[in-house]
Amino acid sequence: MAIIEARQLTKEFRKFKSRPGLAGAFRDLFTRRYETVRAVDAIDLTVEPGEVVGYIGPNGAGKSTTIKMLTGILVPTAGHLLVNGCVPHRERERFVRTIGVVFGQRSQLWWDIAVRESFRLLQRIYGVPDAEYRRRLDELAGVLELGDLLDVPVRKLSLGQRMRCELAAALLHGPSLLFLDEPTIGLDVVVKLRIRDFLREINARHGTTILLTTHDLADIEALCPRVVILDRGRILYDGALDAIRRDGQGLEEVVRAIYQGEAVGGGAGAGPGGRRVPELGGGRAAEGGSAVEPEGGRQYGAGGAG
Amino acid sequence: MALRGLEMARYLPLIARFVAQNLKSRLAYPADFWTGLASDLVHQAANLVFILVVFQHAPSLHGWRREEVVFIYGYFLVPFAVFHATAANLWDFADRYVVRGEFDRVLTRPLPSLLQVFLETMELESLLGAVTGVAAMAWAGRALGLDWRLADLAIFPVLVAGGVAIYYGIFIALAAVAFWTDSRTGLIPLLWNLNAYGRYPVDIYSRRLRFVFTWVLPLAFVGFFPAAYFLRRGAWGWYAALTPAVGALVLAFGVAVWSAGVRRYRGAGS
Repeated sequence: MAIIEARQLTKEFRKFKSRPGLAGAFRDLFTRRYETVRAVDAIDLTVEPGEVVGYIGPNGAGKSTTIKMLTGILVPTAGHLLVNGCVPHRERERFVRTIGVVFGQRSQLWWDIAVRESFRLLQRIYGVPDAEYRRRLDELAGVLELGDLLDVPVRKLSLGQRMRCELAAALLHGPSLLFLDEPTIGLDVVVKLRIRDFLREINARHGTTILLTTHDLADIEALCPRVVILDRGRILYDGALDAIRRDGQGLEEVVRAIYQGEAVGGGAGAGPGGRRVPELGGGRAAEGGSAVEPEGGRQYGAGGAG
Repeated sequence: MALRGLEMARYLPLIARFVAQNLKSRLAYPADFWTGLASDLVHQAANLVFILVVFQHAPSLHGWRREEVVFIYGYFLVPFAVFHATAANLWDFADRYVVRGEFDRVLTRPLPSLLQVFLETMELESLLGAVTGVAAMAWAGRALGLDWRLADLAIFPVLVAGGVAIYYGIFIALAAVAFWTDSRTGLIPLLWNLNAYGRYPVDIYSRRLRFVFTWVLPLAFVGFFPAAYFLRRGAWGWYAALTPAVGALVLAFGVAVWSAGVRRYRGAGS
């Protein structure tokens, strides 16, 4: 059974639209105008247990919004979503026990207390039995070389040290699925390499499924056999990394070409296991609207753009 | 409600753990800890001196004697100290959690979001205000020759809990407004001083304000009515019996506003 199953997953936001100029700002005080923005537009995504998937796209493509729906933070506007057998937003507290989340820009740890004490608090929050906790902490501290860091207050850690601790914190309760939102942002090459090694290792050892968003394509090349490329809320490519790599061309260029709506790869574009989304850059015609009723799935309020 | 209570009992060990950690992290900055303590004390002393100065010019205030007003203030300090110490995180909730997005992290943890926000920051040194309050009550009670009954020992914590619940309810609702606005400061810094209205005899206010502080923003139930009960001021003291119910009601209201706010934050309709 798939660990992530999203069908026609859609998220719309109502955005405040400001008028230009001082007079406009004044008018905004009284009557606000809104426009509906479709951040994620009817995407289909299936991830099997043990996969490591790179989820990439330019800024504003809808990556974070997707992750927030998959982790239960946001409620989808429409579509069907099942993660780890749960509807994430509906049974939030039960569901989040089964996942680990690392937001590169945000800390999971308490600023003023030692790392070890943050870990103990997380142990209590997740209700991890002592023996299990010790075993996991030993393993994580070993692989991530946390040793001396455990007794340092988080505020005194460097970014790289902190990120290693963040990864350990996200895995202390043994989640089967790990979400990483730009985990290597701002890190130096040495730390990046170490983190990649670590992710490969937990994936191999525990079969942890990983969904990774990043702007660093080297992360993707090192870790993800499969990539999903998103732009303007729609999936442009979902398939094997190898299938889009052309001879003599860096991944960077290929991805840029895809963002710009050029054809993918050679031939059919669908390499082994790859699936190309039809009508690249050709607008919405191919997929129709988003009102397709998924069978047997849970349909949220239609909440159209109108 | 009973179910809610049981659920909270499940969290008690966790709460104890967080209290200990918060104390530890406060002590990690001794200077902050001591200045916080000192500024609370100065504030309380200034309020007491203010009361004493007022009474140098008038022998009584609407029939309230100096010692009685000191007693009311002393009593008020107890629920206020508990509130201030435990709900400190509501102060900059709008900026810290909503504007800067920390609330996302809260939602990825298997605990009720409101409980997490309470637990993440506390200013436990503010509890010292309760000691000041009890001392003021003891001094005034002695001067007035108050007769304490054994039952008062049981009634006191119940009334304090009711008062804390009223503060919680009001300020949780105000903090939750941040889910609807994009304002950085939120309403709480603006309205924090509202709490002052709970600590004077309510009949010094105009009829209209008296109604507001009794039935709309029931701050009189936090300090004044319970204190009037201990002062055996029958007419006002009887209101104190309503304090626990008013507390439960206001807290339930605050939690309801919070839940609606969280639904909005997560983009579930509204």
